[in-house]
Amino acid sequence: MEHVRYNKNRREFLSNCFCGMGSLAFASMMAQEQARAARYNPLAPKPPHFPAKAKAFIFLFQAGGPSHLETFDPKPLLNKLDGQKRPAEFGDVKYQNVNSNSRILGTKRTFQPYGKSGIEVSDLLPHQAGIVDDLCVIRSMHGDMVVHSAAQYQLMSGRVIPGFPAMGSWISYGLGTESDSLPAYVVMPDPNGTPEAGQPMYTNGFLPSVFQPALFRPGKRPVLNLELPNGIDLTRRKKTIDLIRQLNEANLLDEDEEFAARMSAYDTAFKMQTEAPEIFDLSNEPKETLELYGVGKPQTDDYGRRCLLARRLVERGVRFVCVVAGGGGAETEWDAHSDIERNHLRMAALTDQPTAALVKDLKRRALLDSTIVLWGGEFGRSPESEKSKGRDHHNTGFSMWAAGGGFKGGSVYGATDDIGLKAVEKPVHFRDLHATLLHQMGLQQDQLSYMHQGRRERLTEVHGEIIKGIIS
Amino acid sequence: MNLRAPSAVLLALTLLVGAENETTVAPLGTYKSAERRHWAFQPRKDAAPPAFPDAEGKRWVRTPVDAFLLARLRKDGLKPAPEADRVTLIRRLTYDLHGLPPSIEEINAFVNDKSAKAYENLVDRLLASHRYGEQWARHWLDVVRFAESDGYEYDTHRPDGYRYRDYVIESFNADKPYNTFLKEQLAGDEMVSSGKDPYDDTLLVASGFNRLGPLRKNAGNQEVASSRTEVLTEMTNIVGASMLGVTLGCARCHDHKFDPIRQSDYYRMQGYFAQTQIHDIVVATAEEQAAWKAKAQPIEQEMRRLRFALRRAKEEDKGQIEADLEALDGKMPLPMSAMCAVKDEPKQTTEIHLLTRGDYRFKGPKVGMRPLGILLPEGTPEMPLTTEKPRVKLAEFIVEPGNPLTSRVFVNRVWQYHFGRGLVSTPNDFGRMGTAPSHPELLDFLANQFIAGGWKMKPLHRMILLSSAYRQASRSPIVKLAKEKDPQNALLWKFNRRRLEAEELRDSMLAISGRLNTKTGGPSIMVPIAEDLVKDLKRPQYWQPTRDKSEHDRRTIYMIYKRNLILPFQQVFDAPDTLLSCARRDQSTHAPQALELLNGKLSNELAEHFAKRIIEARPTADARIDYAFQLAAGRAPTVRERTLAKHYLSGSDTDAVAWKELALSLFNLNAFLYVN
Repeated sequence: MEHVRYNKNRREFLSNCFCGMGSLAFASMMAQEQARAARYNPLAPKPPHFPAKAKAFIFLFQAGGPSHLETFDPKPLLNKLDGQKRPAEFGDVKYQNVNSNSRILGTKRTFQPYGKSGIEVSDLLPHQAGIVDDLCVIRSMHGDMVVHSAAQYQLMSGRVIPGFPAMGSWISYGLGTESDSLPAYVVMPDPNGTPEAGQPMYTNGFLPSVFQPALFRPGKRPVLNLELPNGIDLTRRKKTIDLIRQLNEANLLDEDEEFAARMSAYDTAFKMQTEAPEIFDLSNEPKETLELYGVGKPQTDDYGRRCLLARRLVERGVRFVCVVAGGGGAETEWDAHSDIERNHLRMAALTDQPTAALVKDLKRRALLDSTIVLWGGEFGRSPESEKSKGRDHHNTGFSMWAAGGGFKGGSVYGATDDIGLKAVEKPVHFRDLHATLLHQMGLQQDQLSYMHQGRRERLTEVHGEIIKGIIS
Repeated sequence: MNLRAPSAVLLALTLLVGAENETTVAPLGTYKSAERRHWAFQPRKDAAPPAFPDAEGKRWVRTPVDAFLLARLRKDGLKPAPEADRVTLIRRLTYDLHGLPPSIEEINAFVNDKSAKAYENLVDRLLASHRYGEQWARHWLDVVRFAESDGYEYDTHRPDGYRYRDYVIESFNADKPYNTFLKEQLAGDEMVSSGKDPYDDTLLVASGFNRLGPLRKNAGNQEVASSRTEVLTEMTNIVGASMLGVTLGCARCHDHKFDPIRQSDYYRMQGYFAQTQIHDIVVATAEEQAAWKAKAQPIEQEMRRLRFALRRAKEEDKGQIEADLEALDGKMPLPMSAMCAVKDEPKQTTEIHLLTRGDYRFKGPKVGMRPLGILLPEGTPEMPLTTEKPRVKLAEFIVEPGNPLTSRVFVNRVWQYHFGRGLVSTPNDFGRMGTAPSHPELLDFLANQFIAGGWKMKPLHRMILLSSAYRQASRSPIVKLAKEKDPQNALLWKFNRRRLEAEELRDSMLAISGRLNTKTGGPSIMVPIAEDLVKDLKRPQYWQPTRDKSEHDRRTIYMIYKRNLILPFQQVFDAPDTLLSCARRDQSTHAPQALELLNGKLSNELAEHFAKRIIEARPTADARIDYAFQLAAGRAPTVRERTLAKHYLSGSDTDAVAWKELALSLFNLNAFLYVN
């Protein structure tokens, strides 16, 4: 894979900033900084445990739980049973809200086969239907929890309680980052707010704080503390950093490894300061690309920008990017309790085009092979109705898809029963998915561990099964 | 059908544990002599400190601590570092005991103190100050994962969570015996005498310890049995981690893989909490209660009406009603002033079963209550779950002097906070997966002394702080050799330099800028923060910045610890997430820390104040630079440092921005950020 190299731009950018400085002196300073950064950067790239299929990972987190029954898992029987009680032969499950009196709800969506693979996708997601030959659709996902917060913790960290490191932190811990000026692990939250599990869902837990996510917040200051304080320009900031360096070096001994590491952190900080803002500037993207992602169109602009940003980050060596669709309450998530049609039509309109665009764009840039794109939420939705037109949470059988990174495009794995109640064929638990994702990143799930209070903790807790059927 | 499907797993497990097992009682478990031989479960030994006939040894050994350490160093052909200078010592001690920098006057007084007892007097002065409790409470709050909110979706604030924080501060300041301290926390509510004694309130607040864990609440069908299991799990696991130093939680799903803790041991420990229920004791005045009710009652009334309507509503109208309910719930006033306690409800005693894989649905044999079998004679019977005052019994077992773990675990924590590393470097895990003590005799000696001295903390501090080992410099002349033999400095051939912790850093920046408000105790403060951080909360209304702005400058321990909103400054400097017990903080070094100190709102605002302070206090650039270094680093600048600073100002004595940036640079100075 050919990562777009960035150093040239950076030098140009910097020399524009410091036109007053001798360019030779500047170049030598940069060389020194780079040598130091390579030695002390705790996020320096680390070799995988075995040759990896994927170098980067983008998780398109569909918060709230999109319905499998309206997206990737056609169930004709549902419409036949519409309005009836669930036949006993399907067994029982536990829901958050609906009880045993609820009735089956048919779907208004229509499914048809797409692409060479002929995988059926609903008309809710026409753009994703167009890339179905690149998708490995898993129709037999299941998790342990039926409420948002606990299910989101399990999806992100493998545990149903908060306090454990998220996937992104584990992977940064295992592999570091290939960028020397951008964080290893980025989360781009939905501007409507955070999903139910809140801040602890994305964090590093007991892993060192260097593996915490950088939140790219919506609005004018996407990255905390990257913007200079009032009245301070880059020249001044550089001067101050130089003073700090000189003051600290004045008392340095050779043995002070940690102090050397601190100085390297200031070098990286300054690099982030000068380079990271460029990443947000989409003006050098061709018009065609912007249109592909739906940037500029009211509905898709926000999510489109964030998906495009995800591609730009991965291109520059960022290891893990989580783009969140949904947050701030049921109506602005996929959490369609009261009206599945209204909710899902809205969410699909916001996200479908950018989602497909990301996969297409990565593919044409030859980045898809080395980038995993994962799509899905913390659970699916119930075959029964809630409040007549809505669907409740549903964790015993739902769909997710993975593309790129060695996942088998144009394939379907596993199945739910005839009403989509339970995963009955080749069920995939979150921990199996985690094990497989790590495997594709070249990480062995038991080796990627961290000693915490007497236990060798890992993402998959009690060991997940690598699902061979979804990877090539 | 694939056997790994959830229903199949359930079925298999049900067959395995069988319904008939629900009535059987789990066997008591047996422990092999090899298991009993693990050092931590063995009785403490009574080793005398080694004697040193040679002059050098005699000179160096000030307290028994030194004797044990020196003997071990010599065994490896190492020797201690020379004594640190007085400025370093007062700065080290003041941070260690107060979490704040010493004032210039305090430094000068100590440096010029000719008395033979100057150092000892300093230690005693620091231990007697209220600041001591504020600093050492922070350590205990880390261990017990203290926060004032539930976590999970709603992150509801607990009524007056600060009372427990103040209880801990006061306990340290009063030098409360550690055995009493533990007993009050585990079983305070069971120790209440009349309900009228002021000490009773202390006991009730202390019992809030049992409620410190995160608590899941969710909308819709409540999973009562599942939630109860989670609550009991939190109550049980923390006793293992914080008091006994065993990873009890590992035995929840199966017998412990490495330590002799059976699953039945785990659930028998849980048995002590079977009667425990939460108990909020409202302490608001009659007027406050009336005012609260005036706000809450109309909302509650409307919610009752809506809940009633919801049951009768047409399916399609339910969504709106639920949304209205949710909105109303969000409008409820913050909880009334109350004591956040627990109580026993014998009638609601939860039956305790072994749970296969820890899952509440897969009930195995029943158990009663009993401490860990490995600490008991074989075959010690269990007690029934209905035993009266069960947590008093648990507490008595834990603080029983013969308990090999409790005292060792605590003196090891104290050692760790003084030296940066414990004699056992895994303070929450004294089991086989933890590390063995670097100085086993010293650990036992300290634990024995601690108990003999009535479990008092301050004498323990004194014994450690008065040692020569503690007074060593953090640089050693034999560094090359020593690093080869002992790269971790486990043997203490020098003092361990450390970075300020998040709270110390913020407090110190406030202190040297002349802004620190030293008010003690009371309700936690919330500071104004970026809007998007608040917006990210499910219940943004909980974040209500304290109106009185002078409160914003109080010590960090008085800021609220909210589980779903750890402030970026704290987070980036390795503050714990309050979700799991934190036995030892990381000290990581990375770029976002530099960005926080260079560009962060707090550091820039305080740098401005710091600059103003030095400009107002001193007339010339030289004098100002001297003063700034004295405040930040506790010493005057070196010639080189002064030259660099002056060069930075390059004659612009009146340039406010340059002075502010110089002040900011001092916040980034190693000599400020680190304690030698």
